[in-house]
Amino acid sequence: MRIIAKENFTEFINALINDDSLNVIGVKSKGEKFAFGPLDSAGELRLDYDVTLLPPKKYFFPQRETLVTYNIGTGFSAKDPAHTKQTVIVGVHPYDIVALLHMDEIFSETKSDPYYFEKRKSSVIIGVNMQKMSKWCFAPYMGADTIEYGYDLMLTDLGNRYAVAIGSQKGEQLLDKYAKGLTNALARDIQMVGQKKREVSAMCKQKLDFSPELIPEMLSRYYGESTFWENHSEKCLACGSCVLVCPTCYCFDVKDNPDLSLEHGERVRTWDGCLLEDFAKVASGENFRATRPTRYRHRYFKKGKYLFDRFGFISCVGCGRCGSNCLPDIANPVSLFNDMYREVQQSGLEVIAPQAPDINIQTEGNIDYVPRLATVIKKQPMTSFETLFEIKLDDGSVLGHDPGQFVEVSIFGVGEAPISISSPPTKKESFELCVRRLGNVTNKIHGLKVGDKVGIRGPFGHGFDPEALKGKDLLFVAGGLGLAPLRSLFNYVLDKRKDYGKVTLLYGCKEPKELLFADELVALGRRDDVDFKPTVDRCPESEVWSSNVGVITTLIPQIQFNPEKTYAIICGPPIMYKFVIADLKKRNVPDDHIIMSLERRMKCGVGKCGHCQINHIYVCKDGPVFNYAKIRGVPEAL
Amino acid sequence: MKPKVAFFDFAGCEGDQLQIANLEEDILALLGQVEVVSFREVMKEHSDNYDIAFIEGSCTRLQDEDRLRQIRKNAKIVVAIGSCATIGGINSLRNYKETDDVRKAVYGENAKLFDTYTARPIDAVIPVDAYVHGCPMTKEEFLSVVKSLLLGKKPDIPTYPVCVECKKNENVCAFERGQFCVGPVTRAGCDSCCVNEGTICWGCRGLIDNPNENSEKEVLIKNGLSVDDAITKFRLYFGWQERRK
Amino acid sequence: MKHQNVNIDVHYVTRVEGHGNIFVNVKEGNIERCEWAIPEAPRFFEAMVVGRQYSELHHITSRICGICSIGHTLASLKATEAAMGIKISDQDLKLRKLALHGENLQSHILHLGFLVLPDLLGVGSVIPLASSNPAEVKTVLRLHRLANEMSNLICGRTTHPQRLIPGGFSKIPSMKELASLRQKLKDCIPDLLAVAGLIKTLAPKLPNFTRETEFIGLTAPDEYALYDGVLGSTDTGTAPVNDYLSYTNEYIVPISTAKRAKHARDSFMVGALARFNLNYDRLSPMAKKTAETFNFKPVCHNPFMNNIAQLVEVVHSVEDSIKLIDDLESADLKSQSEYKKPFSQIKAGRGVGAVEVPRGILYHDYTYNDKGTCTKANCIIPTNQNHANIELDMKALLPQILDKTNKEIELNLEMLVRAYDPCISCSTHYVKVYFV
Repeated sequence: MRIIAKENFTEFINALINDDSLNVIGVKSKGEKFAFGPLDSAGELRLDYDVTLLPPKKYFFPQRETLVTYNIGTGFSAKDPAHTKQTVIVGVHPYDIVALLHMDEIFSETKSDPYYFEKRKSSVIIGVNMQKMSKWCFAPYMGADTIEYGYDLMLTDLGNRYAVAIGSQKGEQLLDKYAKGLTNALARDIQMVGQKKREVSAMCKQKLDFSPELIPEMLSRYYGESTFWENHSEKCLACGSCVLVCPTCYCFDVKDNPDLSLEHGERVRTWDGCLLEDFAKVASGENFRATRPTRYRHRYFKKGKYLFDRFGFISCVGCGRCGSNCLPDIANPVSLFNDMYREVQQSGLEVIAPQAPDINIQTEGNIDYVPRLATVIKKQPMTSFETLFEIKLDDGSVLGHDPGQFVEVSIFGVGEAPISISSPPTKKESFELCVRRLGNVTNKIHGLKVGDKVGIRGPFGHGFDPEALKGKDLLFVAGGLGLAPLRSLFNYVLDKRKDYGKVTLLYGCKEPKELLFADELVALGRRDDVDFKPTVDRCPESEVWSSNVGVITTLIPQIQFNPEKTYAIICGPPIMYKFVIADLKKRNVPDDHIIMSLERRMKCGVGKCGHCQINHIYVCKDGPVFNYAKIRGVPEAL
Repeated sequence: MKPKVAFFDFAGCEGDQLQIANLEEDILALLGQVEVVSFREVMKEHSDNYDIAFIEGSCTRLQDEDRLRQIRKNAKIVVAIGSCATIGGINSLRNYKETDDVRKAVYGENAKLFDTYTARPIDAVIPVDAYVHGCPMTKEEFLSVVKSLLLGKKPDIPTYPVCVECKKNENVCAFERGQFCVGPVTRAGCDSCCVNEGTICWGCRGLIDNPNENSEKEVLIKNGLSVDDAITKFRLYFGWQERRK
Repeated sequence: MKHQNVNIDVHYVTRVEGHGNIFVNVKEGNIERCEWAIPEAPRFFEAMVVGRQYSELHHITSRICGICSIGHTLASLKATEAAMGIKISDQDLKLRKLALHGENLQSHILHLGFLVLPDLLGVGSVIPLASSNPAEVKTVLRLHRLANEMSNLICGRTTHPQRLIPGGFSKIPSMKELASLRQKLKDCIPDLLAVAGLIKTLAPKLPNFTRETEFIGLTAPDEYALYDGVLGSTDTGTAPVNDYLSYTNEYIVPISTAKRAKHARDSFMVGALARFNLNYDRLSPMAKKTAETFNFKPVCHNPFMNNIAQLVEVVHSVEDSIKLIDDLESADLKSQSEYKKPFSQIKAGRGVGAVEVPRGILYHDYTYNDKGTCTKANCIIPTNQNHANIELDMKALLPQILDKTNKEIELNLEMLVRAYDPCISCSTHYVKVYFV
């Protein structure tokens, strides 16, 4: 630890500011509040602040950031993240440092975000121990009021001087280059620093009535308590304030922004929030978290349970920004959890701290935000809404997908849409997508001609495992457009027919004219090594239909199968799953023999932006293919 | 083939059309993508053969309805620009007063010479395909809507409130400053421009689709506004939308 | 070729703000009808503000006009501040003057470049000029953009300026930003001279027409009055602003939804020409020089010269803005909160705010009760005050041009209307020209 007199510290900051190769950020006053901003002089610095309006996360994960640029002639390219000036951020409180460490783990899980980490790498964090605490802050309860690591330098105000703890070589080098008059800390100084740090928790005005380690367990008991969540969220304005000011929130949206020539443009990511009404809405109009209570509940669960299960930490640092920014005052976690705890106590429910979860975080390279160019080589309309496209990557490579995976298809200037791959991996030179025209991107895809270009990212997601299904009897149950993703596995199985046992396909549509892959189905009907049964909900006067009429579950009694040997593979509209699974269960099909493909609003494709999240699961990463045994307990899934 | 566009105005201040003039050099880029066949403020020529009609201003007289219907007939796409056209704007303020009182106040005994009725947005009279909200609209949003129309996609208009943009812009909340703001129930898309300039959100872009009006009114009252004043505040821009509910 | 019969019905004159109609009926050389009629939808602002709070009035009345928004806001604020006895700081006063210069610049350049230039170059609009005269169009756009940047910096934005609040400004620019603006103003002077040069070559196309007219505007002893002053008339001298009613005498005509005004004669003119005639010797040096190159001196009774007066004012606004920024710098710009609130000492009272907007003198007159609620309001728009003069000018011009073709007569009448740069939707009007 070193000591620097305040005048020398001022000179140190001014020396940093005068170096044009550095971007010096510090806490300044803004109105009656505080915010991190560029420093013009050391005099602007307000290290005595309580909390900033926005956390320093905005320097690593900005409100708005260009990820990719495109040019219709040449395709997509990454916005080069590498040219970031060295940034020095002065005055970061311990809770914000803890939050950055959380974000580091979150942004590197499975795939790493190069934009975030480039900025992290090129920045220096000069922390400061808290001198004032906002009345909403409860960082001491979250163990975030002080911290021993995660910074390059950490300041403690000792009156006429600062104690400077050195946290990294980067920090030490910064002092060596720009600071003068440093002395070594004496025992007395070190003691004072310890004393100051212990005094921080005494500033806390919030009171959590129990130990926060009980939170994950309490939450999981309270998921279904609708009255609790309805009462607490009644006044919610869906304004998103609580999540936008949060240092550990990281949901984002991605949009395309063409310039006026329409020839080039950029793909931009912006902060998004799960409290906003349309966060979980898909192109068909279905909103998977349409009500205030469900969205309100989701935030607490994500912070207090889902991230805990995945990473082992409760993703809340107690900064108090959410509580202080909520106009109807319903966002303060302390109030909510105290209410919950009181109810739990009154009801005599026993809640214990959970075991430390089994964490296995891997990182396999960077997230690729840049689409590859591909060409439409065949276009085959199938119904008035669905068209089959055959696509070939321009660089000649094989997509290399698993059945059940999806790709993100880009149309220049319009956006990206997730489409399941409809062809099996055994078909290598190209791949097929069955696209239903519904929203902006899919309507544009329908307008493409053979020879037109698209962008392809992926393949993404956890698909089917054809190896594990070898030798088993397979019962495919497809509803409507659900046949499209199932086809990738189904046709693979047909390509390797002798590796599998009995193969049955039940396929239901609303009306005969909505049947997909009609030609292939006719051929299927002629095979004797596949039991194919189609059905329609109804057959209008004008159409001809000689097979079953009725919802898809009416087909199940018509087939024989051995539940021990049979694996059911299901895909269809959200409403279908409940009923099909109930019927299969009645026939004693074990839970782990039921596999399904689910759909949500998928954007980034790599489990980061948050849109596809169902409870603790990311559909784009943990799915879209799920085993019922694993997903049975997930309330938002079915 | 560049689409043909035409501009029309009804009861408004022409501020939205001015934003088009304020595109400055981008006007030239815009002219590279569309052909302007009618824009009375700026050109003499006029043609009834247009694909896209941009309409500013509210409909405030029965006689305006015919003109609107004619425009709807001529155009493939109708775009309402500015709050007066999209939600009734400041014109709807007078809907709370008896029409006669208003006329008398302004024109005295000659009031009967001037007809008027409830000020309304143009979608109260004809179907509208796209909206550019705001008083005035911003150049950026106007261009964004134009680009969407040129690309054949549905314009992306926020359904969340101004608070989202205000927080991203790191403003000190109006309520924290002892002022009263309707941002929490007002449609975003303006990038919280008024709060950025040091004031409050007045609600010029209209209510979001599912505003929690009771909660917002409670917040206003909790912070010191009287019940009557809270109701009055909502009438500044939400007059037509509130009545429609 | 003498036209014995002329019938002109111009429905919605083009290239003016708002909607207005010209009706002309000449039978065998006798003028039977020559009317300037306004059919625009009335907007009733004076009734809408009754019952609203003092802190809201400027926001509402700003919406009277999209182009002179800053002017309406300032007139409104002056009226409210006068009613409640509030004085603004010297610094805020200078900033408000800069705001008005920004508006004048934006409006005059738009008018000259987009609305008048096409007539002088013989085309229907500025659009074909983008291909035929790209350099000139780009110059106009550059100047227009600078004017908007200036308004954005001082007021937040040109149309419905947020920063202008009762008592001053919610937020002010830094001296660094003002210095940068000052440099841009200095740098735009070559562009200004280019535009002036272009208009000089085209000026002979402006008709040489005069009709003795009374001119009314603000006037002040030591500056070219735009923000502050007393009432001035070329016929009767000066009067305090509170006497404005006797300088307007609004009345209604059935053919118009806009009111008209009169003073010493049957009509009078307001606007750049009026200001030029009243306050010529307080123009900035470069502005006077510009006037000299056109042989333009007070008192000029040719309404078409209003266009040249606007050009002269553009030069003046640029020069005076530079001076105002110099003054702000030497007085040391004091910082203030970036979220300043309107003043809060309210009391009952009545106040009149008069301000020169690009098109002429504007009055806002408010009465408040002790709760700060507006109980009565009166707004007199400059274009209202011009309507009678436009009609009388038309009646005087028409006999002089009866020997021209129908198209030329129509063009001349339209150019006459355009020279006034009317802001008709402010007075809620709509010009349409149709041939009967």
